[in-house]
Amino acid sequence: MNETQLIARVIAGDRLAGRELYDMHASRVYSLAYRLSGDAEKAREFTQDAFIRAFSRLSQFRGDAAFSTWLHRIVVTVVSNARRSEIRFGREVALDEAHSIEATAQQAEPDLRECIARAVENLSEVYRTTLIMHDIEGYTHAEIAGILGVPEGTCKSRLSAARAQLRQDLAAFKE
Amino acid sequence: MDENRFDEVIRDLPQSLNTPSEPPLDEMWKVIEDAHFNSPASTRRPGGMNSRAPWLAAAAALLIGIGIGRYVPLGNETQQSGNAASAVASTQRLAAGADTSAIADAYRDQTSNYLGQAAALLISLPPQNASGKADAAFAGKAADLLVTTRLLMDSPAAQDPKLRSLLEDLELVLVQIARLRGERNKGDLDLIHQAVEQGDVLSRLNSAVVTNQSSE
Repeated sequence: MNETQLIARVIAGDRLAGRELYDMHASRVYSLAYRLSGDAEKAREFTQDAFIRAFSRLSQFRGDAAFSTWLHRIVVTVVSNARRSEIRFGREVALDEAHSIEATAQQAEPDLRECIARAVENLSEVYRTTLIMHDIEGYTHAEIAGILGVPEGTCKSRLSAARAQLRQDLAAFKE
Repeated sequence: MDENRFDEVIRDLPQSLNTPSEPPLDEMWKVIEDAHFNSPASTRRPGGMNSRAPWLAAAAALLIGIGIGRYVPLGNETQQSGNAASAVASTQRLAAGADTSAIADAYRDQTSNYLGQAAALLISLPPQNASGKADAAFAGKAADLLVTTRLLMDSPAAQDPKLRSLLEDLELVLVQIARLRGERNKGDLDLIHQAVEQGDVLSRLNSAVVTNQSSE
């Protein structure tokens, strides 16, 4: 059974077809959710949320783009919305925690892995998403452009800007 | 850090940044399956309303008819008594191409009423750590609103892309609330609150109520 037939069966309420469609995409969806969130529990929740949303809206999927593109766009939206909420909440507690974070930071020089993680975290949402999708998860520019709904050129310039900022943030690092 | 070293860092990123653990595929599928296939609210079928279930189409015609029957000017016709008769008459007028602005008014009013009820339900949703005493009442109300949500999604009211997107998010949240009817897990309410917050549903709902009222 091909993917289009599977989708039709899921819309008709066939749970075995649902599982098959899920098995075809779940690992990559989870991997992307994990890279974007950096947390196994969140990745699990985002993956579940993305599939629940996708299945409930499957009848609106017109097949203009590949199903994986449509699904991955949902994942990126789910993760972005969650991160925005976290950032909003983080701002509220930041003042309370600022002192303790500063004290910890002075105790030891962070290693390169930590510095990279922090530098990637500091990128703006669009740069970060593009960098993670391209340089870490191996999506092509065409795939990213389809998922994020931007022209391929925009995608390339975002990646270039993301790397430039990363290079700048890591410039001072001495091994 | 020099250029070569930086290139190495980029090349090694897949191994050095948030390397994923093995995905808990079966565990995740159980949640998805419960939410989508086992939920009483997950019985949507493809195609138009008529192909989905004839009774649903009839119910929709009656509901919309009742709404329109209250708004479409009757002109020279004799006022029918009773909602059912009014619904039949107004549905016939709709089929005959009745005054479109009156029909739009009817949809708008039904939408306003629905949005107000949905906002009230979400605002009064129990906090994450609340006991499950009131769950059945919330689930029942959510199931009712879910029917209206789906009718509106298939109606001209959903032609507005903003409203359509809001209805889609509300559908997801209401499905989750409707599931509280059975025994709930510790995280169920968490997930509902997260879905409301992630989709910014309440503020979009408030804004839709205001927009809808101001256009009346």
